[in-house]
Amino acid sequence: MRKLGPPSEIRRLAAPVARLIDGAWQRMHWWIATMAVLYLLSGITIVKPDEVAVILRWGRLVGSIPALQQHGPGLLFAFPRPVDEVVRVQVKRVSEVQVMTLMSTAAGGGDEEDDEDEAVPDLTSLSPLQGYAITGDHNIVHVSMMARYRVREPAEWAFYGAKSEDILRVEVTAAMVRSLGEMGVDRVLADGRKDLIARATRRAQAGLDASRSGLELTSLELISLTPPQALVADFDAVQSAFIEAETKKKFAQAFAESAIPEAQGGADAAIQEARAQASADLARANGDAAAFLALDREYRANPVVVRERLYRDAVEQAISSAGHVRWVPPPVGGSYHGFRITIGPATAAGGSSEDR
Amino acid sequence: MDKSLKTPEQTQRYLRAAVGLLALGAIAFSAMGVVVREGEAVLITRFGRPLRADTQAGLHWKLPWPIDQSFLLDMRRRVYETGHTEMLTRDKKNIIARTFVVWRVGDALAFTQAIGTQGDAEGKLDGLLTNAAIGTLGGHDLSALVSTNPSDLQVDQIEAELLSSTAPVALHNYGVTIEQIRLERLALPQENVSAVFDQMRAERRQFAAKFEAEGELEASRIRSEAQLEAARTQAKGAEETARVRGEAAAQVAKTYADAQKVDPALYKFTRSLESLDKLVRSGTSLILRTDSEPFSLLESKDQK
Repeated sequence: MRKLGPPSEIRRLAAPVARLIDGAWQRMHWWIATMAVLYLLSGITIVKPDEVAVILRWGRLVGSIPALQQHGPGLLFAFPRPVDEVVRVQVKRVSEVQVMTLMSTAAGGGDEEDDEDEAVPDLTSLSPLQGYAITGDHNIVHVSMMARYRVREPAEWAFYGAKSEDILRVEVTAAMVRSLGEMGVDRVLADGRKDLIARATRRAQAGLDASRSGLELTSLELISLTPPQALVADFDAVQSAFIEAETKKKFAQAFAESAIPEAQGGADAAIQEARAQASADLARANGDAAAFLALDREYRANPVVVRERLYRDAVEQAISSAGHVRWVPPPVGGSYHGFRITIGPATAAGGSSEDR
Repeated sequence: MDKSLKTPEQTQRYLRAAVGLLALGAIAFSAMGVVVREGEAVLITRFGRPLRADTQAGLHWKLPWPIDQSFLLDMRRRVYETGHTEMLTRDKKNIIARTFVVWRVGDALAFTQAIGTQGDAEGKLDGLLTNAAIGTLGGHDLSALVSTNPSDLQVDQIEAELLSSTAPVALHNYGVTIEQIRLERLALPQENVSAVFDQMRAERRQFAAKFEAEGELEASRIRSEAQLEAARTQAKGAEETARVRGEAAAQVAKTYADAQKVDPALYKFTRSLESLDKLVRSGTSLILRTDSEPFSLLESKDQK
């Protein structure tokens, strides 16, 4: 080495560095060796249970298909930097973002500077900057939503995907605007909500896929879906008219449910009464008939006596129950001459007969 | 330790060589190696003039400074929302639309030349997008955007038209690849909103009136049906009652008739006696001949 005789200038400059290295090695060679080993092991990474890791070697993704790129939870062996870089992505965690782009700012979407100078918001109109959507039948509604999402393609999302909140906000908004634009306001506000959500979710996911965001929309929820504030009373009036109509129908049904059985009851009672009356009448008739037949048997045995008795009983009964009885002699020569009878309450007691 | 102590000269020489080589390698790498990460691109300039863009992730090389220089470019997708722009549809309706694009650097070289590495691509995109939106929506009716009739809607077509009219221009002029364009919002000009409100209000009132009338109608229908049914039930009851009564009367009459047939004369006699009993009341005046039945006894005695 000495014989090679390199330029003495370099040797002279390198001498202190060489001395430093020599000295360091002699004093702390264990320490340096440990550091070197630790550096070589620094590429080994622990991937947590809810994560997936991908390896970048010289910046390039290792593996040609997603299944080979992604490494599940556990110990992952990689070279130390700067050769390999391990990127871990939480794929199981579901995050959420509120989408208030279609919510009127007055109802709590955030404060706009132009709203501040007028304390009472103008209810007769809406600035286009206020969030709202137009339904298929040209009504205006405000919508606020909650989107929940998670990472589906870790590599795509981590290196190429747009910012999650941004892409979700615009995709969900566009999907909702479009879905509302093909439905009527009455469906949307009443029984069509599920359908609306289903359509918007499908569209938003299609959008997220088309823009290769690597995100999955796990759920889309409506926080609120309301008509404009100025029209709330009118919408409520329709609702209450509907309820009122239903109530009227219920009352009518209740009336029907009582009136028909009542009529049936009345009819049944009348029939029962008629039957009772009929059987009573029949019983009396049978009794009378039996009595008559008994009398008849007796009469056949002793016609004169029975007839006489009956006659006399009747006449006595008649005389005793009559209020006034007057006796006249039999006519002389077949006719009454100068015999007058006056009838009246005043004369009933005495002077009914004058003379012959 | 023993080994190293044995030949300290040798060890020292190796060590020095290793450290020296490592240091040289590191210096050379930092000057000439370019690591392009996924999601990034590197633009290489030679003496300040763009030479090439390394868009493929991995290890690339360049000449050391000051000959070559590298600039980092973000290749991620980005979202850009245009402003709210008022436009006219084919059926002359004013509408305010906002679109968004998902874009990324498509041609790194063209992008840096047009916009620069840190430049504002979105400001340039805005004009392009707004013009495309005005042009495209002007060729469609409002019902292509919002309608309850599915056959009117042409949003997919409109978005496809927007993409096809902007994507080639954006790539050619700015090196920007537009991956997606969508209509994000539709709104009405502020001065038209109150008319829409009026129309909505009228519609609501009409609905309320309709519900009210329908409820009334339905209720009265239910009521009158019930009344009819009740009347029908009552009539049936009355009919049954009359039938029962009639049958009973017939049977009674038959019973009496059967009894009479045994001895009509006696029946007639007893009936007249009964009638007599019924007819004579306390207010009745009876005028009897003295020779009639009970007293004829006395009379005849006198006369004899």
